[in-house]
Amino acid sequence: MALLEMKHICKSFSGVYANEDVSLTVEKGEIHALLGENGAGKTTLMNILYGLYTADSGQIFWKGREVSFSSPREAIAAGIGMVQQHFSLVRDLSTLDNVILNLKTASLFLNRKKERARLMELSERYGIAVDPEAKIADLSVGERQRVEILKALYRNVELLILDEPTGVLTPQETAHFFDVLRSLKAEGYGIIIITHRMSEIMQISDKVSVLRDGKLVAEADTADTTPDELSAWMIGRKMALNIRERGKAGDEIMLELRHVSRRAGKHTHALRDICFQVKKGEILGLAGVEGNGQKELAEVLTGLKKKASGEILFDGKSIMDAGVRERYEAGLAYISDDRQNDSLITGMDITENLALRSYAKEPYATHGVMHRGKMRQDALGTMETYQVRASGKTGPDTTVSLLSGGNQQKLIIARELSGNVRLILAAQPTRGLDIGATQFVRDRLLQAREEGKSVLLISADLEEILALSDRIAVLYNGGIAGIVDRKDADVQKLGLLMGGAVSAGESGAVGSGTDKSDIRREGEK
Amino acid sequence: MAKTGKVRGAAEAACILLLTVLAAVGLILLCGASPSDAGGLFVQGIFRNTSSMMEVFVKACPLILTGLGCAVAFRTGFFNIGAEGQFYIGAMAGTLVSLNLPFNGPLNILLVILAGFLAGGLWALIAAVLKAKFETSEIITTIMLNYIAINFLGFAVRSFLQDPEGNVPQSAKIALENQLPGLITSTRFHAGIVIALLCVIAVGFLMLRTTAGFELKAVGQNPRAAACSGISVAKNIILCAFLSGGLAGIAGVIEVLAIQKKLLEGISASCGYTAVLVTLIAGNHPLGVLAVAVAYAAVQLGTGSMQRQLGIPNAIVSILIGLVVILILARKLISLIGSKRRRA
Repeated sequence: MALLEMKHICKSFSGVYANEDVSLTVEKGEIHALLGENGAGKTTLMNILYGLYTADSGQIFWKGREVSFSSPREAIAAGIGMVQQHFSLVRDLSTLDNVILNLKTASLFLNRKKERARLMELSERYGIAVDPEAKIADLSVGERQRVEILKALYRNVELLILDEPTGVLTPQETAHFFDVLRSLKAEGYGIIIITHRMSEIMQISDKVSVLRDGKLVAEADTADTTPDELSAWMIGRKMALNIRERGKAGDEIMLELRHVSRRAGKHTHALRDICFQVKKGEILGLAGVEGNGQKELAEVLTGLKKKASGEILFDGKSIMDAGVRERYEAGLAYISDDRQNDSLITGMDITENLALRSYAKEPYATHGVMHRGKMRQDALGTMETYQVRASGKTGPDTTVSLLSGGNQQKLIIARELSGNVRLILAAQPTRGLDIGATQFVRDRLLQAREEGKSVLLISADLEEILALSDRIAVLYNGGIAGIVDRKDADVQKLGLLMGGAVSAGESGAVGSGTDKSDIRREGEK
Repeated sequence: MAKTGKVRGAAEAACILLLTVLAAVGLILLCGASPSDAGGLFVQGIFRNTSSMMEVFVKACPLILTGLGCAVAFRTGFFNIGAEGQFYIGAMAGTLVSLNLPFNGPLNILLVILAGFLAGGLWALIAAVLKAKFETSEIITTIMLNYIAINFLGFAVRSFLQDPEGNVPQSAKIALENQLPGLITSTRFHAGIVIALLCVIAVGFLMLRTTAGFELKAVGQNPRAAACSGISVAKNIILCAFLSGGLAGIAGVIEVLAIQKKLLEGISASCGYTAVLVTLIAGNHPLGVLAVAVAYAAVQLGTGSMQRQLGIPNAIVSILIGLVVILILARKLISLIGSKRRRA
């Protein structure tokens, strides 16, 4: 009898399937990897199991009995624990307090001594070292994760779900974490590990299920499969790539990064010795699984984050000391992946948002006094050109929060591409957009290329990267894993680079070096 | 969308007004007075004669300035609760300069006002720098700075600023030619009110028509996006705090130069705290602040007359203002809940 069986699970959100007929079986003492791209439905499936969502249809059998949990509390009581990607610990409480928080005890009084002894026993048994009196706020992310795992074990779970557990860990912590998983497995725990890192799957899992677009596309014993096969399943061969006829990229260098590094902060990823060039009239795609330093790189380039070492040359001149505004005025535009927070002030109207970069200059302002009429008039024209649709009556006076995602993005592009733009830094520029808006954005980027401008396209979407780029760099763990020409690139090669399973030199690509000594190379043959 | 928003806004305002009037009637009945008599006296208290009508502006003057300061700060997302302390620091600095300048007359007054502005502004700057550099909550620091300022004034009027001629805790009298003159005979309408109105125009222009005001608003609404567009968040927080504290400082100076003619304890009549409420009601709009401050002063005078004639406690004003603020905040809460539900 299987520990857990999920059969034909379907779940849709406003008409879009997040899970479509997904089945999953986990045995005792098995580490089962759930693989898939962002948005493939992994977390949704687990949230259904954990009682956070209710499935539209399908059945869940737990130790042979059909169940349906309506809250995590019920799931935990039945013996299913989940460590979410974002931890649910109380920062100001100690490790012990967090572990025993909300625990059902028979007595009215808390016997901290007894609870503490039990925690320490668990901690020793599985080699999960924690300090029971340490405050969560003072712990590293890796330590917090250990607390989360102990919290689940303390509740006598038999199945542990781990959502992207290694995303926040250093390679050393990951290695130790895998040792813990192995000892749990030996004790007969069932473990589901959600991930999109190929190397880790090969290293730790017994079985692997691959989700794509909400559907289960493959299930295999890890020993019988290869990273190549997995990455093909994960990404799919759905892309019919229509690379347009296009001119050759220029030879002049627009942007050059020389050994750019930045130390990891509390909430930021490190950047490691990044070197690449973007030529004039070229689109350089920067592929990579999210959270490998993309955001930090973008912010170092735009000037939002300082304290980076190395050199950034923009059209031959160093811009390391220039501020955000100076860089924009030199021609560096930024389309952020977080449009509502970074690129728009949603409480302000279209006119004001369009002028965010240019409000202080002629013709919009003279000696610090703004000319709103002129701004509004130009906004009307821009809305026309870029097909920004707002309610007819209010037009440019419409508050931006009332616009659709596509129109918001058009507005950002209209603003960033106006003026003297020479390089567009576009991060996830089509995420969440409908087909029409996506096409519009891509056309604009290609058009900018034709005009001799440069584009640095940061995207986790390989299809997009392959469709638009002249060359493709892959970011992994804060460094460049490799740079390949579009004509030499395919999904498999990029997938392996993205997963850190192979370094560029070995896949036959040219690229700058990166420190990979700490990555175990399970995927190589 | 915008039109229905306006209709809804008006409906909500009417509801708030109605509830407030009902509460007032209830409180008057509790005192055993007739609401109609009380109403008559209320109106009389305000519109009895020119003097009483001008008195509205006298009472509104410090509220207008401190409220204007709060509006600048709130709009930039800097929750300056320290107008009270900034008022006192301004009053103290103004008095010190006024009593020590070797010359009298208009130039003296001008320098005194400038001193009040700078001192209030610098006092607010402490909280701003702490916020900009260390992300310390300005709500806490400004309140703490209030305690320091209020008690430091008590200290000052018993030591270095105490009138050497007497032994009362107050400063020497400001020389007549250094006082802000009254402008309308047989009323207390003084030149400071004109200064306050000029400040409304100047600050209103700054907030609504200049690039500096645009930056302040952008930082207040989304500091992250402002930074991404190249607007310095720290600079704008510091700027708004300085302006905000400076306006409260001017309010303090005017109170000394036009009303009390000397420095003494409690001269703010807590207007620095009332200003926070005035600004909340006014929705951080400079002209709104003017209107609400004048209305608040009028209500205060009206109920003052009710108290004298019918023994209805003046505390009714504070109760009603508290009610209005809660209703306005509740309205925001309701619309917030509404929008969340729509999203889900």
